[in-house]
Amino acid sequence: MNFIKKIIPMKDFTLRSLMQFEKTPLNMLMFVITIALLVAFGWGVVEYLVHSHHAYNITRQHPWGLLIAMYIFFVVSSTGLCIVGSLGDVFGFKDYMAMSKRAILGSIVTILAGFAVIAFEIGHPVRMLIYNVLSPGLTSAIWWMGTLYGIYLTFMIIEFIFLMRNDMKNARIFGLTGLLVGLAAHSNLGGVFGFLNARIISNGVFYPTYFILTAFITGIYLTYLMYGFRYKMQIPDDIKKGLLGLAKIQALLLGILMFFETWKLMTAVYGGMPGRADTAEHIFHSAGFLYGEVLCGMVIPFVVMLATKWQSIKLYVFTSFIGMIGIFFMRYDLVHDTQVKPLQMMKITEYQLPPTWIEYFPSAAEIAIGFGAIGIFFMLYYFGQKMFELDATEH
Amino acid sequence: MANYGMAFDYKFCINCHACEVACKEENGIDLGAKNHRLWIQEDGNTSGDFWNLDKDKVQFMQMQCQECEEAPCLKACPNGAIYRDDNGIVRLHKNLCDLTMACMHACPYGARYVDEKRHVTDKCIFCADTRLARGETTTACQITCPAKLRYFGDLDDEKSEISQILKERKHFTLKSELGTKPKLFYLE
Repeated sequence: MNFIKKIIPMKDFTLRSLMQFEKTPLNMLMFVITIALLVAFGWGVVEYLVHSHHAYNITRQHPWGLLIAMYIFFVVSSTGLCIVGSLGDVFGFKDYMAMSKRAILGSIVTILAGFAVIAFEIGHPVRMLIYNVLSPGLTSAIWWMGTLYGIYLTFMIIEFIFLMRNDMKNARIFGLTGLLVGLAAHSNLGGVFGFLNARIISNGVFYPTYFILTAFITGIYLTYLMYGFRYKMQIPDDIKKGLLGLAKIQALLLGILMFFETWKLMTAVYGGMPGRADTAEHIFHSAGFLYGEVLCGMVIPFVVMLATKWQSIKLYVFTSFIGMIGIFFMRYDLVHDTQVKPLQMMKITEYQLPPTWIEYFPSAAEIAIGFGAIGIFFMLYYFGQKMFELDATEH
Repeated sequence: MANYGMAFDYKFCINCHACEVACKEENGIDLGAKNHRLWIQEDGNTSGDFWNLDKDKVQFMQMQCQECEEAPCLKACPNGAIYRDDNGIVRLHKNLCDLTMACMHACPYGARYVDEKRHVTDKCIFCADTRLARGETTTACQITCPAKLRYFGDLDDEKSEISQILKERKHFTLKSELGTKPKLFYLE
């Protein structure tokens, strides 16, 4: 342990102290939720190991489901927290300096939760690790995304080590490199969908840029949630200034996102191109888009921030929770909507009635693993808080 | 080495599904509707009353991997598991497939599916593992078709039957607007 402490400064802790926490109602609630999510994750994994992909409701027509959506949800969160963390230690904005350590820890644990999800979505994860190196598919956006995320995680860990050592010069170097690699990885994730000429609704430049924008938004939502919970709404002044600044940035980003989304839908519908216009109309009429993405993810947080003139942190913590529900729907809809239009253009899928839209609803195992991974995030974040001093503000 | 392709006199199809059965038998494809390398799609419905059925509106299309020259599945595979063999057929290194299903997501024709037995993705490969490997130059679906509507052969050989037919008759490819350059041709 002393050897590790020489590399990265840690608090003094024992296994017993790691398990001990103040028994407040909120803490107890979080404890119960975390345990329930971890149990669900474990059950889902057992289901997957026993039944393989049969445990999931994915089909030939809809090969990607909730787990891909949750993987995207976590890696978007990670990139977002990386951007927020970089505001202070990379770009030198003083108001955000105090947030760097917590945000970078958050970015590490969210991507680990994402990796935990994707490990049980891919049919052969070990093969992926081996042949990702031995026979790289350089034309594949997934290869670039996965490889760059691996490098990104390494840089994030190194940056975190330097942050904990208060070595700001090296933290800045690795933070900037990690940020650039993370943004490249993340836009490649958008490219996974943007490159699909098979799915006209997602093909194009929109997703690679949209992913970066929504990552920043997600990072700000999560920063509010982390600090709201950490200080039980009694935010200290050094953090308050940064959080109020983030609210202004968030309102601006949400405004841009709404602008982007409006034009994306309008250009998709205009002209009535088959396969794109009908899919866009279908998306527009779906509850997940209207109530999840638009209302929870964009409109409610935007209106609240506008109405309170960026001054009510407590309210923003609650709206961030609503915002994260919206972010989940953005990820879920992104995956589902690209597959909702049947590919066979001549008409029906054999042995079935003529398809109009491809149906998909996640199985219990998918729900258990996908949402259970939130428990992994909670657990890792809790241990991170217990093991590292994240509140040091002076560099 | 050849550059194999296939042409269909699709209007002659009687929807008997013999091609599907032959394909499953020849290539050891699992039973069940979702497991198929090729399938027949039905376009249009029979209308009218008996004796006066308007059956001309019904059309059966032979669907399978279109063996694209610019194959999106090949480009999307993160492990380089998908490759083009010496006969121009898009194939899979089965031991490299990690089942991300990126190829299934990328294929504009819905031609790929998960082979439950081998736990990899699968699609039509013109019987490359079976008939072509035995030195034959026909596919199971082709020789089984009672309407003899499938023409299979080397597109680079000007004397081959398929090359002659494609020279003589009008034909079209599916979703050609995507730039995939399919090597399956539908004869008018």
